[in-house]
Amino acid sequence: MADLTYREALRRALDDELARDPEVFLMGEEIGRFEGSYKVTAGLWEKYGPQRVRETPISEEGFVGAGIGAAMMGLRPVIEIMTINFILVAMDQVINHAAKIRYMFGGAVGVPMVIRTPGGAGAQLTAQHSQSLEAWFAGCPGMKVVAPASVADAYGMMKTAIRDDDPVLFVENLVMYNVTGAMPDDPDFTVPLGRAAVVREGRDLTLVAHSYTVQRALRVADTMSRDGIEIEVVDLRSLRPLDAETVAESVRKTSRALIAEEGWSTYGVGAELAARIHRLCFDDLDAPVERIGSAEVPMPYSKPLELAALPLESKIEAAARGLLAESGIA
Amino acid sequence: MSEELVMPRLSDTMEEGTIGRWLVHEGDAFAVGDVLAEIETDKATMEFQAYDAGTVLRILVGDGESAALGAPIAIVGAEGETADEAASAGNGATTPPPQDEEAAEPEPEPSPEPKAAPARRPSKSSKAKAASGNGSRATGALRVSPIARRMADEAGIDLTVMAGRGSGPEGRVVKADVERLISSGELTRPAAPDAPPAAESAPGDGELRELTPMLKAVATRMAQSKQTVPHFYVESEIDMTRAMQLRAELNSGLADSGEKISVNDLIVRASALALIQHHQAHRSYVEGKHVYHAHANIGIAVALDDGLIVPVLNEADSKPVREISRETRDLAGRARAGKLKQREIEGATFSVSNLGMFDVANFEAIINPPESAIIAIGATLERPVVMGGEIVVRTIMRVTLSCDHRACSGADGAKLLQTIKRLLQSPSLLLV
Repeated sequence: MADLTYREALRRALDDELARDPEVFLMGEEIGRFEGSYKVTAGLWEKYGPQRVRETPISEEGFVGAGIGAAMMGLRPVIEIMTINFILVAMDQVINHAAKIRYMFGGAVGVPMVIRTPGGAGAQLTAQHSQSLEAWFAGCPGMKVVAPASVADAYGMMKTAIRDDDPVLFVENLVMYNVTGAMPDDPDFTVPLGRAAVVREGRDLTLVAHSYTVQRALRVADTMSRDGIEIEVVDLRSLRPLDAETVAESVRKTSRALIAEEGWSTYGVGAELAARIHRLCFDDLDAPVERIGSAEVPMPYSKPLELAALPLESKIEAAARGLLAESGIA
Repeated sequence: MSEELVMPRLSDTMEEGTIGRWLVHEGDAFAVGDVLAEIETDKATMEFQAYDAGTVLRILVGDGESAALGAPIAIVGAEGETADEAASAGNGATTPPPQDEEAAEPEPEPSPEPKAAPARRPSKSSKAKAASGNGSRATGALRVSPIARRMADEAGIDLTVMAGRGSGPEGRVVKADVERLISSGELTRPAAPDAPPAAESAPGDGELRELTPMLKAVATRMAQSKQTVPHFYVESEIDMTRAMQLRAELNSGLADSGEKISVNDLIVRASALALIQHHQAHRSYVEGKHVYHAHANIGIAVALDDGLIVPVLNEADSKPVREISRETRDLAGRARAGKLKQREIEGATFSVSNLGMFDVANFEAIINPPESAIIAIGATLERPVVMGGEIVVRTIMRVTLSCDHRACSGADGAKLLQTIKRLLQSPSLLLV
């Protein structure tokens, strides 16, 4: 097990898949010579050339559409959208085409395409560049939406996403890129889509998160374990398909559930999971399912206000303690 | 800021409560969880705990007095405060909850159960605080988290006494509370350590032990029954010779199935069939009215190591003997294992108490209100009897029916017993 950054793990997955399958190619803004805004594709343009690492103009609708066409014709495009905020101009291509084509053509043709894009906030990028919009896509049948929160998952899920025959929105995270973690030595290591993982075991409360919020959740669990409170952290990894059963299994053990996400709570991942948990675990609950997200405002620029809006560790911990207090526990 | 303490809903059916006694006096300070008073409901005497700290400013309903659900029973507030302002809202025992008065003003939070009066309702002077706070819900009502309810059901724990006393918000009973109850073997929390000694002093210097909630419930209910239900008794001897033959025949036929019909099963069946023929002996006296029962739900007393429990065989009149036998075996087994669910010990209309296995010739049982009657079964013994001028040996069982005279007359009770006897003496009737 060597340690890599999340960024390096993604790069290695792209590299391995480009090497393994000649149908795979990358496409996006400044991903070649400039190596991508977040340097995920560094070195790949030199290695594979401009045919397979294609630079595009600023035209998300155009190059997502081109990717869909290429995928329909049998290639496996991996499209980079610089941040998830910019995918909105390509929304029609993603929702009305990529997610629908297999159904519109009676299953005769699919769209084996990956759109990889980082979300997240915390760098004072303000309202238009700090959003976590993945729940919007996760609500759409025909899409797969994944958001790995560890180095190993970033590598293993990227490979699986590229090999998948349906469109996958692969949500990375700006803050995660520099996070270091263990990387499996096995070159054939992959992680299936649609499976959540219990990343820390506990008995008192199930804390569910995805993407960078998992890291926050783990820190909250560490802090609270000093007080003898054991939190079970479930990393969703995939938002669609959603592995509600792994979450439910955990809640059946702990009787309490808190969902944390960096997106807005309203109509968010927590809303969906709360509904599923109530259905799957009603008789196991000791307190209402709780959720926490970013403040329901466009993200402010001011650093103190940005921190106030984000679901930081302190707020997740307060929500967890509130739930435990409702259950008569410390 | 003074507030009214109101009569809490401590059981689902109570409409008023009686202050058994106050454990605090005017001027006393109390902390969260302190027992303020003992309140007698239609079911039991329960402790009324404080949900907030404060000082008793004025007691509105004294020891032994009653108040309607939701009516103010005391004014509490901060030390040194006067109760005058709030006191004007509550004039004591007979004041109904001033709900109409309140209705004109916006409620802090609409209550899904308008009948469940909050145990602590802010008086006018503190309305602003309540409106900006979390609102007041029925703190006296039983609120239980789903898993706590499931665990209590599985452990056979009656959570009624925990109404408003759980650790969750507004007294919600949560998992941790049930875990504590299970591990302590108690259904209620231990009494406050500074609680005054019981009114009756123990004879001698025997070891003092708290009653388990089950024993407490039995004590309260039986005392209440014997004191308030006018019992009368009708007694008879039943010739069980043919019933025993029938039983032997049934059991030899059922030998392969491993099932075994008991004398008690036949008595339950006979009682159920008789009850639905005698409406006037199968009704309950409840608050000045007669409640007629369409089906005979037979309570079957099961002795435990210390105490008893009475699981209920529902609609026994519509069940064949074999089904009665099967269900009774299941209920009794789970009763001994402490695994009955709350709903399985509720709703009996009549009970059967059988001490025959202890060689009891005859005894009288106490009615479990609001049931209509209870039949006490003695041992089934071979005895010399006179039949057609001859002394013959027959199998005789002595039974005593205890009836509530408010529900039925002596003749009604006698007719019921006569039918039970006729059915058991012509036992093939039990099979149709």
